[in-house]
Amino acid sequence: MAGGSAGRHLGWAVLPLGVVLAVLFLWPVAQLLGLSFDSPAGPLGHYARILAVPAYRTALATTFQIAALVTLLAVLLAYPLAYLMATVPPRVAKLLTLCVLLPFWTSALVRTTAWIILLQRNGVLNALLTGSGLLEAPVAFVYNLSGVLIGMSHVLMPFVVLPLYGAFRGIDQNLVHAAETLGAGPWALCRRIFLPLTAPGVMAGATIVFMNALGYYITPSLMGGPAQTMVAQLIAFNINQQLDWGLAGALSLAMLLATLAVFFLFQAVFGLERLMGGAHASGRIGTPFALGPRGRSPGGRVMALLGAGVALFLIAPVLVVFPMSLGSSPFLAFPPQNFSLRWYEEFFSRPQWMASVWNSLTVAGIAVAGSTLLGTAAALGLSRLRGPLARLVETAFLLPMIVPHIILAIGLFGMMAPWGLVRGPWALGLAHIVVAAPFVVITVRAALRGVDPNLELAALGLGAGWFTMFRRVLLPGILPGIASGAVFAFITSFDDVVLALFLTNVRSRTLPKLMYEGVAHEINPTITAVAALIVLFTVLVLLLNLLLQRRAR
Amino acid sequence: MSAPLSPGKAVVLERVRKSYGPVEVLRDFSLEITAGSFCTLLGASGSGKTTLLKLIAGFETLDGGAIQIGGRDVSHVPVNRRNIGMVFQNYALFPHMSVRDNVAFGLEMRRVPKAEAAPRITEALAMVGLEGLERRAPRELSGGQQQRVALARALVIRPDILLMDEPLGALDKTLRASLQRQIKQLQARLGVTIIFVTHDQEEALHMSDLIVVLEKGRIEQAGTPQELYRRPANRFVASFLGECNILTLDGTPHGIRPEKLRLGAMASTLPHRREGVVSELTFLGPHLRVTADTAEGPLTALTDADHATACRLGERILLGFSGEDAMPLADSPNATP
Ligand SMILES: Nc1ncnc2c1ncn2[C@@H]1O[C@H](COP(=O)(O)OP(=O)(O)OP(=O)(O)O)[C@@H](O)[C@H]1O
Ligand SMILES: [Mg+2]
Repeated sequence: MAGGSAGRHLGWAVLPLGVVLAVLFLWPVAQLLGLSFDSPAGPLGHYARILAVPAYRTALATTFQIAALVTLLAVLLAYPLAYLMATVPPRVAKLLTLCVLLPFWTSALVRTTAWIILLQRNGVLNALLTGSGLLEAPVAFVYNLSGVLIGMSHVLMPFVVLPLYGAFRGIDQNLVHAAETLGAGPWALCRRIFLPLTAPGVMAGATIVFMNALGYYITPSLMGGPAQTMVAQLIAFNINQQLDWGLAGALSLAMLLATLAVFFLFQAVFGLERLMGGAHASGRIGTPFALGPRGRSPGGRVMALLGAGVALFLIAPVLVVFPMSLGSSPFLAFPPQNFSLRWYEEFFSRPQWMASVWNSLTVAGIAVAGSTLLGTAAALGLSRLRGPLARLVETAFLLPMIVPHIILAIGLFGMMAPWGLVRGPWALGLAHIVVAAPFVVITVRAALRGVDPNLELAALGLGAGWFTMFRRVLLPGILPGIASGAVFAFITSFDDVVLALFLTNVRSRTLPKLMYEGVAHEINPTITAVAALIVLFTVLVLLLNLLLQRRAR
Repeated sequence: MSAPLSPGKAVVLERVRKSYGPVEVLRDFSLEITAGSFCTLLGASGSGKTTLLKLIAGFETLDGGAIQIGGRDVSHVPVNRRNIGMVFQNYALFPHMSVRDNVAFGLEMRRVPKAEAAPRITEALAMVGLEGLERRAPRELSGGQQQRVALARALVIRPDILLMDEPLGALDKTLRASLQRQIKQLQARLGVTIIFVTHDQEEALHMSDLIVVLEKGRIEQAGTPQELYRRPANRFVASFLGECNILTLDGTPHGIRPEKLRLGAMASTLPHRREGVVSELTFLGPHLRVTADTAEGPLTALTDADHATACRLGERILLGFSGEDAMPLADSPNATP
């Protein structure tokens, strides 16, 4: 057996990431949760207070309401768009996919900024509506419930659109034909064939949206009013203003339990594969469903029109920052008068902006290097584990994607602040390793499945040692997966605000944190210039990723 | 046994035209299929068989011409109003419905009352021998069982015509044979008009009342299996349906079936003879297949296996046939520009 012991003991490669997650994830989170049982009024004192104080009870209810509303909105908006994507020529479908992916990968902060610019009292939408005479006086779209719902469903909707589009594409054309010959008209087709066959994909997406929405912090705090205070904001408030770690811990546990309940419920009903891999129909023969030669039914036309509207809803805020950043007035006005590059100059000449860019890149460097290395090793190790152990380890590795970032942020803050780690890039860099490594595990796992195991055995059979085989056969096969993982890790780190808010200080703050401070105060035109630059940068990174994947094929 | 569920209807195609972009798939295609007959479309891959079915079903629109079903012009009738049954090669069962719900679907769409639907569903499932599997999901059935569910689902609505696109293509040989028999019996019982696509010539010969040989979107020949086998109109049909030797007689091409070629002593008394060298011998159980190289190229004969002793590889041999067994062959319509 030329395979050598390296191949046989590969399962141990899951250990480094396991240790990192234990120290930098499980431990701080457990500490925080532990504090919640430490109160002068007995172990359940903090919990009793949450139930007794109306403001806390309301916030819990509001959080569930908003999460449920956002999930509902995301599903309702995703259907027409996914339907449109599945029924247009491939080229248009690609363009629409771009409309979904671009906002998906641009920083949530950039999008929130853009929405505020669009929706605020003197914003673009009000300017258009009052200018055209549709409205007499400006309407408040933001700093209230509508603001939170718009902002959050915009950020989270792609999680439904993408699996739903996959589900539509997975419907065999012959199924539709069979139903039609049996007498099904457009409405019956929709109700009896399309809805049930796309339901699993929608469920997967809706679960992700709901889990994410429960822990949301940035959008509600920037786009909502006092009545939309969510649990995450209360947690931050108790840490920042009240210094009440026990109560923050108790709120965190409540939020965490709700999130995990949703996650495990989904896992029990549909299985983990579906949640992480989207909803791919089982490998059936046949061509994917497409529009017939008779075109759309009247209902289909309405759906398509709605879908186009949703696409606009997704892409408009990303695009609006460009014209807004080119105005010369110090007040944001739409349409901008007198174009200039003044705000870009401002950005490049201010030391505080430049320092934050440098900080962001340093942190991202740490995050990419660490998560790629640990994640790849863990994926290789996972591929050798079998049975319940494999499932357990896999679930554990995915947990950082599920646990709301605010909880991790506060847990790590409590652990690292005393050591002075927040003064440099390390606290945030390490935190980003924790949240980015799962992406790498997923992409490398996917790539590993694509590598023919026979190729591996053949190489070993030909007498190659395990390391030679790895270098010559396995590594080239999974390199595209590693590259994608690294790109995702980079974007995750570069876009993060929540962790940065707690794990950096004035000197080590990153670009998104500096932007956040600006947006929370008042949006000045420099911020729109920064937002525009970040969008451009994201497009470049995505193109690079696309290019890498093309080359690999 | 119950009365025939549906009297089949005649199908008439009149100068049907269909192109995909620059590719003209069907040009001026005309065909009449009598009510209650079993018509097979036979042709090579890409000859337009599926396209023709799609046009009859209404999945595609006509570029020109007309289609009538039972005397009614359906060219502009949407699929769901054509009352057509369709069976697909990949079964196309609804994966989220049980066997019973699959069969019930067409009746629900027609708003058949439950009390009437229940016995019809039971009968349709019994007809294809699937009693007791009503509650299974499609993925819990074998390929043959799935295709029988598809058949029951298509027949329970009492369609005017039943379209089948290579329905047995994904099944193994024995299963194919048994389903071929079952389909034939069902058709005899129900009297439904069937249009069946295959590229298996034996299947076509076994099952059809009418075989339509297609090539590049044109009819090479349409007729009963006997007509097509005994009197192929041209080279293409002759060699597409069964094996055929092509040779020149009186200056024109003729086809001669291997089983009509006699060998050795039996050949010497026949009016037409060729001489050749045995180049290949294949034992087929009851028959022996002999190929001999002649001045006109290789000729293949099929003889009783008892003649095995008479032939040896590399020996000279005489091949003969009578004039009435030589089939004159015209040019194929596709051969002329
Ligand atoms: N949707 C389409 N777009 C473009 N060309 C098509 C389309 N469908 C069929 N064709 C072309 O039309 C011709 C006939 O196709 P068709 O599917 O009818 O053949 P077929 O006889 O059913 O073949 P097979 O035995 O392989 O199923 C082929 O050349 C095919 O490439
Ligand atoms: Mg075909």
